[in-house]
Amino acid sequence: MISTNSTGEPALRIENLDKYYGTFHALRGINLSVKRGEKIVVCGPSGSGKSTMIRCINRLEQHNGGRIEVLGTELNDDVGNIDEIRREVGMVFQHFNLFPHMTVLENCMISPMIVRKQPRAQAEATARLYLEKVRIPEQAMKYPSQLSGGQQQRVAIARALCMQPQIMLFDEPTSALDPEMVSEVLDVMVTLASEGMTMICVTHEMGFARRVADRMIFMDGGDIVEEASPDEFFTSSRNERTRQFLSQVLGH
Amino acid sequence: MEMVVVAPPAPGRLEDLRRRFFATPLQAVLSLACLAIMVFLVWKLLNWAVFSAVFTTSGGPEACQAAAGACWSVIAARWRIIFFGLYPYEEQWRSALACVAVVVMTVLSCIPAFWTGRRIALVWGAGTSLFYVLMKGGVLGLAHVGEEAWGGLALTLFIFVTTCLIGFPLAICLALLRRSELPWISRTTGLIIDGVRSLPLISILFTFAVVLPFALPQWLQGDKLYRVILGSALFFSAYQAEIVRGGMQGVATGQEEAAMALGMRYWQRVSRILLPQAMRNAMPATINQFVISFKETSLVVIVGFFEILASGNAAYGTGEWRFAYVEVYAFIAFIYFIFVFSLSRYGAFLERRMSVSER
Repeated sequence: MISTNSTGEPALRIENLDKYYGTFHALRGINLSVKRGEKIVVCGPSGSGKSTMIRCINRLEQHNGGRIEVLGTELNDDVGNIDEIRREVGMVFQHFNLFPHMTVLENCMISPMIVRKQPRAQAEATARLYLEKVRIPEQAMKYPSQLSGGQQQRVAIARALCMQPQIMLFDEPTSALDPEMVSEVLDVMVTLASEGMTMICVTHEMGFARRVADRMIFMDGGDIVEEASPDEFFTSSRNERTRQFLSQVLGH
Repeated sequence: MEMVVVAPPAPGRLEDLRRRFFATPLQAVLSLACLAIMVFLVWKLLNWAVFSAVFTTSGGPEACQAAAGACWSVIAARWRIIFFGLYPYEEQWRSALACVAVVVMTVLSCIPAFWTGRRIALVWGAGTSLFYVLMKGGVLGLAHVGEEAWGGLALTLFIFVTTCLIGFPLAICLALLRRSELPWISRTTGLIIDGVRSLPLISILFTFAVVLPFALPQWLQGDKLYRVILGSALFFSAYQAEIVRGGMQGVATGQEEAAMALGMRYWQRVSRILLPQAMRNAMPATINQFVISFKETSLVVIVGFFEILASGNAAYGTGEWRFAYVEVYAFIAFIYFIFVFSLSRYGAFLERRMSVSER
């Protein structure tokens, strides 16, 4: 059983994580520990393994070696463990992945109803609460295709929150958005962070990282190259590759 | 200064006609010639079917044959054979009621309000058992009528509906199995689907009706009719499985991932996320397959069943109405048209209904 106390063991513990795609070594012995309530921002060049790593945390990718422990439960072939972890770990995707055949409200209600077995009225109340929180309560009866990209991504965040997860994973949540819609999504994420959610965000939004992150992680070539506080990371990075990456991202 | 942009006025109907059909002298001549041919054909057809046609049986076949137009009296005289086949004359009201039951069942299951598991099961269960009791009898004081005496429209509808009711779920299972990650499952399923698709329907019907009884023990054989329906459902499912699989391939991979990340299990993902979207993608091809299957029910004549087309043969086959085969076939074509056309319109309605949430 996943424990809900806020002290004690870390929210997430990754040890010597290995992942291969065929012969390609995508993750090379990653070690990472995340405390409850901690906000981690993961960045790095494309193909460095950031997405692969967070997709291993809820088993969208199966790891080939090492150990992943989420909220005290080990992620292995045990289907019961996988289900239990997925219930407690929310995820937001680059391309939103809303269900196009359901209204916004139904998108938010379906999983609490069929996975958590909540009664319809309770699921709807929760859904409306979180839609309010992401500031689009008036769109509840629309279909995803009728919304802008920024609105869709906020619905996706609300949908994940409706499961009342203990950890939230963000996989480049603003990369597919038009520039003018990035801030409305980031604002929601900042609010979420301020309320104490445990967050692991893969993003290149360095302004967001500076504001929110407790710890920065820089990945390259399937490895964690640098781990530092945001202050240290942005001003006095010791690593050559990190400095090069930062100059490219912040350069203009 | 402010600029006001106004769209050019839409052309009037006459102006539109002139532009489309009478733009040049040559085009005008062609348009008029086509119009003349069309008027001539329609007039000929109406003259045959209505103005010079005979509608009453009072003059008997001879007067009818002498008429210049169609002889619809054959329908008035023989409609019972066309609709009910060899079903006993006194009991034919049962066959008519059974047809109504199947049609009502089909119409009800087409209405979105009935699309919950319990309601649809109720409609289908009630519909098919009502049909079966009415046709077969032997209970509630109804005289027993064996399957070999069933015929006409009732038989056509029964074979079609049961083929779809058995074939559709089977098709979904086959499509899911073919997408399995275990190679031995997906390959075996692929082999079965391709195997069935490589055989002509007639040979499958013949095998199930005639050859299978030699291979099966007595208690497993069932009536020939049900074996034929099974064969036809298998054939239907092989084609429909590929249609469903095509629809599934059109569903973005992110959908499955999002559902997994929300903690849904395999069957929850399949029933709530994958299938609703896949069936929407597969809708036009699915309606097509239903239409083809409806018309293919006429093939059961080769194993000795008198569905509506074969019953039509019998209707004009006896001496005195032998000349009136065109009228009988025209009438049967009209019946097919009513069913198939409704099916197509229903398909169009579904597509409109689903387009609300399209990307």
